[in-house]
Amino acid sequence: MTADQQTAGPQRQSVGLNRRSLIKVGAGAAGGLGLFGPSALPLISRRSAAAQGDALTFWQFYAPGGRVQTQTTWFEDCVAGWNAQNERQVELVYVPNSDYMDGTKLPTAFASGQGPDLFIISPGDFLRYFNGGVLQDLTPFMEKEAIDDFFPDVLASRIVDGKVYGLPMEVEPMAMYYDKAAWDEAGLTDSDIPETWEQLLEVGKRLTNDQRFGVLFETNPGYYQNFTWYPFMWQGGAEIQVPESNKSGMRDPGAVAALKFWQDAVNQGVSPRTELGGGAWNGPANLGTGYCAIQNIGIWSISELRQDAPDLEYGIFKLPVPEGGTYTTDMGGWAFVANSQGKDPEAAAQFIVWALGSMSDDSIQRGVDWCTKAKSDMTPRKSVQDLAVEQGGFESGPLKLFAEEIFPGGRGEPRVTPEIYKSISDAIQAAMLNGVDPEQAAEQAATEIEAYLATYTGAPIL
Amino acid sequence: MSVLSAGQPADKQAGRRLATVTRQRRLSQTKREWLAAYLFLLPDLLGLLIFIGLPMVLSLSLGFFTVSGFGQYTFTGLANYQKMLVDPLFIGSLQTTAKYVIVLVPGLYVVGLGLALLVKRPIPLIGLFRGMLFLPNVISLVVIGLIWKFLLVDRIGVVNTLFSKIGLGGRSWLGDPNLTLWTLLAVTIWFLMGFYMLIFLAGLQEIPREYYDAARIDGAGPWRSFRDITLPLLKPTSFFVLLVSLVAAVTGPQGFDLVYVMTKGGPANSTNLTTFYIYQQAFLFSNFGYAAAMASVLVFALLVLTGVLFALTKGGRFDFD
Repeated sequence: MTADQQTAGPQRQSVGLNRRSLIKVGAGAAGGLGLFGPSALPLISRRSAAAQGDALTFWQFYAPGGRVQTQTTWFEDCVAGWNAQNERQVELVYVPNSDYMDGTKLPTAFASGQGPDLFIISPGDFLRYFNGGVLQDLTPFMEKEAIDDFFPDVLASRIVDGKVYGLPMEVEPMAMYYDKAAWDEAGLTDSDIPETWEQLLEVGKRLTNDQRFGVLFETNPGYYQNFTWYPFMWQGGAEIQVPESNKSGMRDPGAVAALKFWQDAVNQGVSPRTELGGGAWNGPANLGTGYCAIQNIGIWSISELRQDAPDLEYGIFKLPVPEGGTYTTDMGGWAFVANSQGKDPEAAAQFIVWALGSMSDDSIQRGVDWCTKAKSDMTPRKSVQDLAVEQGGFESGPLKLFAEEIFPGGRGEPRVTPEIYKSISDAIQAAMLNGVDPEQAAEQAATEIEAYLATYTGAPIL
Repeated sequence: MSVLSAGQPADKQAGRRLATVTRQRRLSQTKREWLAAYLFLLPDLLGLLIFIGLPMVLSLSLGFFTVSGFGQYTFTGLANYQKMLVDPLFIGSLQTTAKYVIVLVPGLYVVGLGLALLVKRPIPLIGLFRGMLFLPNVISLVVIGLIWKFLLVDRIGVVNTLFSKIGLGGRSWLGDPNLTLWTLLAVTIWFLMGFYMLIFLAGLQEIPREYYDAARIDGAGPWRSFRDITLPLLKPTSFFVLLVSLVAAVTGPQGFDLVYVMTKGGPANSTNLTTFYIYQQAFLFSNFGYAAAMASVLVFALLVLTGVLFALTKGGRFDFD
């Protein structure tokens, strides 16, 4: 060993020690964060969230800058009305529809402790947020009369143990829309309006040609597809969960028949396997472009077709039923909810009740304006319904048909957990698009749901 | 501080002091080099640590928890890993990913190399052709997905209209579980081929022209030249392409983005790649712990696959002698 090496030795050692120290510190920090990170990060995030301004943030997909001006204006007016009277301000935050439904923004925000103070959810997502413990009880802020004013079937999916955790802003029943020009072209008349599944497939065949499909059902897997399939299952008497038990009703003949109905529609070439415009919820992109002659879609499409396909002449009829079945339809719709972990959950709850759930004239009129002017929906409250009728909201046209024929007999959209949703979704997809025997697909879903229910401890599935 | 011993000549002591100072200067120089090296590395190291290393450690640790997605964490040990073993959707997603990788990696290699050979010659407008082939790469994957979804729609889509002219119409490219993964692979190869073409083109241009001239004089045809000159001299490029396309196939953004936009994992889970299933578990079902565990397994699988690739190619040297 040379003198230089001898001298350099301790120096290298010194550098080595420093490096080791650095590695130790780094590993310690990383390890610490690794061990405590899961619980520490949301804490850090909450602190930063608390440091953000005082206004309550309200996430939704309507305003500001939404696609339909009347709906944007309604939201802006609603918030402006509250802000003019209250110190605790509300700020609208627009989230694109595609990022809101089945997207990452809302779950990510809650996972990092930065969920909005106010947001809107569909019944399909209710249990996920309720079981997560982030929904604020609105009951203490509501008058008994106002709670009773909501249609029980509509409010049911937002109630747990008698407490109200969300107020619906609308009711959106499903129906069948048809293109009148295609109808006439196929030589069909009003007497051909199908009342049974079999008749629908027959009419669908007559409407099908090399440029057009007869009937469109949703084909994309997701909450929306399940939502549109449920009424066909109910019509045959089946339920997702047999009441008061941990048994699934997916094995029941009604569920199997509903799976087979959609499978037949695809196998017979009456229904497509894909759709335009992102999904079968989009009326203008499908019915409006002539891609299909009949479309299974909700009441919201009235206002969308009015805006995006004003020249389309269309008719609407009730969902057909199986032989011997009972008519029903699925009634969706979004609800205002408050984040119980937010900046000021009480103020957020008060805002919701003020906006949609008080007996004041303003609150009732706001409901009428949303359902009959800004949008085209049924109302969730008796007083709103009465005032809407009084003001001629359901006097004529498609809304009258919905109010008088389609809405009566409808059922609220069920609330299920993501796990149950997935089992049903897989059954629909397997039968409809993969040729799996409907009985086998239903059995698989029932087995999965029952295994899940055996250990499930959250709020009841409805 | 040095202390002089009695009786030591002054010049000897001065010499020793000089030697010590020189050594110190040399050490300072070494130190400075170390410092410079670390400073150069620091930005990258910090970036890697903060944006890659730390999230990986967090993700790995998250896999041992049940995470509700609302701030509730429960330590559950290996429960998430045990769940994977009996989750048919996870196992199905691994099978789908395996098919995707097995087709995509060789597909990109063959198409990328084929295109590079086609556009290698400096003919007029060759820059334009190269640009056109690379063009899909500069477009957002979401836009690519939306355009192809529109082109591939049942019955009236452009693709079906064209295929019907040769008697192959009437297929549901994105709605038939037997076809959808292949359709997705075709779109993915179309999207990525320009990038791999460029890599191969760079490799091809490194091969001296004289080798081909000599081979031609010796009577070698195009195939012989390709087999005995081009392919062997493209070994380093081939290794890079295989490695990068393997990583892209398993965890690349195109796998997730195109599935998200075009199929949502359907029909009937036929395009449910593992990356998409991880996303579903995390963001649709709020099972962040389970998703993190699956992500860890996927990263581990990728490490193993990369290791196998290194082993099979002798670290990219392809030296089997």
